[in-house]
Amino acid sequence: MTPRTRGHLALLLSPVTLFLSVFFLGPLIIIAVYSVLTPGLYGGVEWSFYHWNFGRIFGWADGLVEVFEPVYLQILLRSLGLAFLTVIICLILCYPVAFWIARLPQRARIVFLFLITLPFFASLIVRLYAWLLILKPSGLLGTVFNAVGLEAPEILYTQTAVILGMVYIFIPFMFLPLFSSVDTLDRSLIEASADLGAKPWQTFVKVIVPQTLPGIAGGSVIVFIPAVGNFIVPDVLGGAQGLMIGNMVEQQFLSSRNWPFGSALAMVIMAVVLAALMLFTARACKAGAAR
Amino acid sequence: MKISLTAFAGLFFLFIYAPLIVIVVYSFNSNPVNMLVWDGFTLDWYKGLFGIGERTLDPNQRAVYLESTPQLIAALKNSLTVAAVTTLFSTLVGTATALAVTRYRFRGRTVYTGGMMLPMMMPDIVLGVGLLIFFSTIGMQLSLLTIIIGQCTFLTSYVFIVVQARLAGLDPALEEASADLGANEWTTFRKVTLPQLAFIISMDDLVITYFISGTGSQTLPTFIFSMVRRGVKPEINAIATLIILASIIIAALGLWLNARASRK
Repeated sequence: MTPRTRGHLALLLSPVTLFLSVFFLGPLIIIAVYSVLTPGLYGGVEWSFYHWNFGRIFGWADGLVEVFEPVYLQILLRSLGLAFLTVIICLILCYPVAFWIARLPQRARIVFLFLITLPFFASLIVRLYAWLLILKPSGLLGTVFNAVGLEAPEILYTQTAVILGMVYIFIPFMFLPLFSSVDTLDRSLIEASADLGAKPWQTFVKVIVPQTLPGIAGGSVIVFIPAVGNFIVPDVLGGAQGLMIGNMVEQQFLSSRNWPFGSALAMVIMAVVLAALMLFTARACKAGAAR
Repeated sequence: MKISLTAFAGLFFLFIYAPLIVIVVYSFNSNPVNMLVWDGFTLDWYKGLFGIGERTLDPNQRAVYLESTPQLIAALKNSLTVAAVTTLFSTLVGTATALAVTRYRFRGRTVYTGGMMLPMMMPDIVLGVGLLIFFSTIGMQLSLLTIIIGQCTFLTSYVFIVVQARLAGLDPALEEASADLGANEWTTFRKVTLPQLAFIISMDDLVITYFISGTGSQTLPTFIFSMVRRGVKPEINAIATLIILASIIIAALGLWLNARASRK
C-alpha cells in the first residue's frame, strides 16, 4: 500500500471511525455499565457494582431491597410472542402478493412495488394513528358494526391491536427482501417438479420454500428486530394488556427514573436481538455452505 | 387459483391504503365529537392549524382545539433543520466509508463492513436510552444538536449499507465514464435517491429523538406522538393528511427523477 492510498484511506475512514466510536460505542458501553450499577435514591445512580437489576428480572433478587417481579419476565415473553406472531402474519400476507407481483408485466410491477413502499414514506406515527381512528369504540369499525346491528369486537387496547399495528407498519420490511427472493425464483424448477408428478403442495414445500428461504429469513429478521423492542405501537394501541418490554424501558427512564434497572431491561432486549441475528447468520452460513 | 391470488392482492392493498384514506376523508368532517359520523364538509381543522380559525379549549365546541400553532410550526422547523444537517453528514460520511471498503483492500476492512451494520441493527430503543445516559453523563444539554448526533449514528450506517450494495454491483469503469447510462443512474442515485431516503428517515424518526429531545426541541413526530397520546382530535387528522400528502409528493418526485435519469 503506497503512502498515497494510505492517506486516502485515512481521509475516508477517520470521520466515521471517530464519530461512531464516540457516539455509538460510547452509549453502548455506558448502558452496559449502568445495567450493573446501584440505583440511587431520587433517580440518581451510585457507582458500585449491583447485579440485582438483573436479579429483579430473572428471579435472583435479594428479597430485601429488590424483589423478584415475575411481571418483567412475563412481559419479555409476551414481547417475544407478539414479535414472532407479527413476523408470521407479515409472511403470510406478503408471500402470495410477492408471487402475484412477480408475474405482472414490467410496468405494472414497478407501479405495485411503488404502491407498497409508498406508505413507508408517510410518517409512522400517522399510520398508527389511523388504526386508533379505526379501532376506537366510536371509530370506523364500531360504526360499521353498529350499522348492521352487531356488537363491535373490542380490539383496541388488546394484544391483537398491537399485532395489527406492528404488522401494518412492518409490512414493507418483510415484503422487499421476500420479493427479491421470489423474483429470482427459477421457474423451470417448478415446471420440472410438476412434470415429474409432484402435487402442488409438494412443489411448494420442496421447491418453492427452500429457494425463497433467504428472503423469508431476511425479512423475518428485519421485522423481528424492531418489533421485539417496540414501544410506540403498544403505547398507542396496546393499553395495559398489550404492554411490551420496550414500554418497561421507557417507563424506567422517563417516569420511574431508575436508569440502572432500565439499562438492564435494555440489555435484555439487546441480548434477544443479538441471539436472533446470530441464529440468522448461522443459518445463512450453513445455507451458503450447502450450496 | 389465479383469480383468488388477485383477490388476495386486492385485499392486501386495501389493508395498506384504507387507514390512510380514512384519515384523509375525516380530516374534512365537521363533526368534532364523533369524527366518524359524517356531519358535512369543513376546512376548519386546516384553518385552525394555520391559526386562522376560531379556537377554543373546549373539545366539544365546533371551533379548533389546538394548544398552539407556533408549537406546531416550531416542531416542523426543528424537523427540517435536523433532517437537513443529518442528511448532509450521514450521506458524506457513509458514502466515504462505502468507497473506502469497496475501492481498497486493507487490514481491518471486515471490521468496517461488519461493524457498520451494527447501528442499523441495534434496536432503536436501546440506542435511544444509551444516548440519553451518554449525553447526561458527559453533561451535554439535550437540544437539536443531540438529536442530530443521535440520528447520524444510525443514518450513517444506513447510507453505508445502501451505497456499498450499489457500488458492489457497479462497474468501476462505468462510474468514471460520465456520459454513460450507468454513470447517469449512479449520479441520480447519489444526488437524488440517497439524500431523499436519508431525509425521510430522519424526518420520521420517533424513538431515538423521543429520548434525546429536550423540552424546547420537539420534532414533528414527537409533537404528533404527544398529541396522539392525549387523545384523538380532529386537528390531528388535518396534520396527518398534510404529512401523507407531502410524503406522496416527495416519493413521486424521486420516482419521476429516477425514471427520467434511466430514460436518458
